[in-house]
Amino acid sequence: MQKKEKSIKFTVSFTEKKFQSAVFPADSVRHSRAITGNAGARPPVEGMVVRASGSRVAGRVVYGNKSRCATAGDWQKMGTGENQVVRDPVLRSLRPTAAILAGKAALWLVRFLGGGRGSSLPGMVALKICPGILGRLAKHTYRSVVMVTGTNGKTTTNNMIARVLGKAGYRVLVNAEGANLVTGLTTAFIKNASLLGKVERDYVLLEVDEASFPQVTRQVSPDIVVVTNFSRDQLDRHGELDKTISLVREALLKLPDTRLVLNADDPLAAELAISTGLKANFYGLGESPQQKFLYRAVQERRLCPVCDRELDQACYRHGHLGDYRCPGCGFSRPFAEVEGLNASATGGSATCRLNLSGVSRRLVIPAPGLYNLYNGLAAFTVCMLLGLEPDLVIRALGGHTPIPGRAERFRYQDKPALLNLVKNPVSFNEGLNILPALPGPVDILIAINDNSADGRDVSWLWDVDFEVLNKHRRHINLLVCTGLRRVETAVRLKYAGLPVDKITVREMPEAVKDILCGDGAAAYLLTNYTALWPLERIMNKYAQRENVVKGMSPVS
Amino acid sequence: MPKGKMLLKVCHLYPDLLNLYGDQGNVLALVRRLQWRNIGVEVRRVNQGDTVDFRGMDVLFLGGGSSRGQDLAAGELKEQREPLRATVEEGLVVLAICGGYELLGHYYRNPEGRIIPGLGLLDFYTEAGPERLVGDIAVEMTIYGKPVLVTGFENHAGRTFLGRTNPMGRVLAGYGNNGQDSTEGARYKNVFCSYLHGPILPKNPRLADHLIRLALQRRSLPSRLTPLDDHLEALAGKVILKRLLRHKKA
Repeated sequence: MQKKEKSIKFTVSFTEKKFQSAVFPADSVRHSRAITGNAGARPPVEGMVVRASGSRVAGRVVYGNKSRCATAGDWQKMGTGENQVVRDPVLRSLRPTAAILAGKAALWLVRFLGGGRGSSLPGMVALKICPGILGRLAKHTYRSVVMVTGTNGKTTTNNMIARVLGKAGYRVLVNAEGANLVTGLTTAFIKNASLLGKVERDYVLLEVDEASFPQVTRQVSPDIVVVTNFSRDQLDRHGELDKTISLVREALLKLPDTRLVLNADDPLAAELAISTGLKANFYGLGESPQQKFLYRAVQERRLCPVCDRELDQACYRHGHLGDYRCPGCGFSRPFAEVEGLNASATGGSATCRLNLSGVSRRLVIPAPGLYNLYNGLAAFTVCMLLGLEPDLVIRALGGHTPIPGRAERFRYQDKPALLNLVKNPVSFNEGLNILPALPGPVDILIAINDNSADGRDVSWLWDVDFEVLNKHRRHINLLVCTGLRRVETAVRLKYAGLPVDKITVREMPEAVKDILCGDGAAAYLLTNYTALWPLERIMNKYAQRENVVKGMSPVS
Repeated sequence: MPKGKMLLKVCHLYPDLLNLYGDQGNVLALVRRLQWRNIGVEVRRVNQGDTVDFRGMDVLFLGGGSSRGQDLAAGELKEQREPLRATVEEGLVVLAICGGYELLGHYYRNPEGRIIPGLGLLDFYTEAGPERLVGDIAVEMTIYGKPVLVTGFENHAGRTFLGRTNPMGRVLAGYGNNGQDSTEGARYKNVFCSYLHGPILPKNPRLADHLIRLALQRRSLPSRLTPLDDHLEALAGKVILKRLLRHKKA
């Protein structure tokens, strides 16, 4: 292959780390990147040979004893576009700085203009300039990098961990806004980086979208990965649930030094310990006097993730979470080191008892719903692994404040209003479960958009247990539907068997006025992702916000 | 059956395996629309290992599932293929959506190239394409000689190609069976197959009523249905149509 003297061949090892420490001897090749091995159907890619002579740069992908011409996709995987190969050494070293600078400029611009929250645009800009910027910024030494993934509870769990570490006096980097795609994570790093790319933080805490997990972990390797649970969410983006889980699994297989923190009560999450062979710590809810169906479980696939037999579900503690055992292969709920006993969720908080090396402690999460207890237990487990004092952790978790859209309280004249983000059947059911705890009758607003961040498909509304509202008919005064898919939401409520004369379809400002001025004793707003911000804006106009969230400027 | 009162039996096949994204709303639509007309209705959920008395059923519903769920359901149904085929020939009303639709054909070739044999009740086959076909969709179908607009949401990797089977409708906007020949779904006797989620029946009450009518006729029961107030459903359909046509123009 080495014909000309000027064209120099070298193969780059396929692990990202090795590449990063590789020295490139040839002057003519300024920049090269390994392709991470692609396990699966295709033969494993071993490396990419980059040859440069004069101004021409050519790449060949070598696997086994075969090779082929590098495609645009291969260059993409290398983290650089073909025509973005940097040939000038000066420019190469300036590129990351330029990316950070541009990212920071975008950040200031977005803040200055006040348009949106600017949680992904700066990252997008920086990635355009230097595609490898995220990996570069994450290369610094941190005490630990923790990632939280799974369907529900990512943002809350991550913020709980951040709060505890903050209370313990550590400097943390968090992507707190729930911006959990590569662009959002890059923004978080840029926010915390100096112009020279220095990130001086003790811990990096990232919530990562399940589908983006492989892409993110190629660049940032986590020490601890929390998997909260898996349920159906945004199928138009993620494809099938099995696919989502296998994406996470494949990515974990490439991280042999990572420790897992898994929800023992979710068979789909707990199974990851078996198929990845990674060390895992489990958390879950244990014995409780009031063991009962909290609501009809969303019909998840309750098949054994190991052998496909139907699971024996001993009890459901929350949604499809609970105690299970496979009659076929014996796969069962693993022992949970962190187990919440006597769990209960009443009014605005959830609580349970924790037995830790013989000492019984009480964990209180000041946010409604058992699901927040699960988030708290996940955060607790991570903090134990990080070596924090249990009492400090419990104290810090007790001061948890919800983030926007997660049970935000408002007041309009004397009427209390609660705003909750609901983005998939499980979280919607949780939202509906809070209803009886509100002073009735309640004026309910449901806002459903179908922008791409919400998922374009709204048929998941039919998996939400709206039928449960029939039990609380007297507790409901109005059912106002709004958002881009308001009419379909109304159709769903109609087929749930709810009284049609209580259901109305309104534009958002009118909808808010209706429920604030309605005859009910309280207002309850349930909204999905992109409807949240406009809804909050309208609410801020009319109603008094009761719990101002730290670190978040209200939307102007 | 109580004397003098009509009772229809709706059979939901493998709700645990084939229940992706709201398709159970189709069963709910049938139940409500029968209840609102004071027609008795009973839902039978069939799970793995159960045998089904197809003759005793009035409407059979098969939803979409993950590829694994689909494999398992196909395996279960294969053992009962003969009675199912015979009842279909006699006019059993069947609604099969997405994955449920695909498994009624000859085979499904998955993205890895493996061929998963179907039941072969209808003459079509499906092959997975490189990209999923995702988005809102509008279809024109014919009910009693009249054109009816049907809207929904499609999300499938499979491309279905019909043999000697009629499509359920013609695509006005969206992809349909394969994104190429403008056909959507398949129709044979009283079997309706479609890629439309949404779910299709509550969003398209005329199709729901059509299935009910066919089921009543199969039992030789009076099939004149009391009209219901469907203005919300009609409005929801209109919103989507307007949006789709605007996109098409752009």
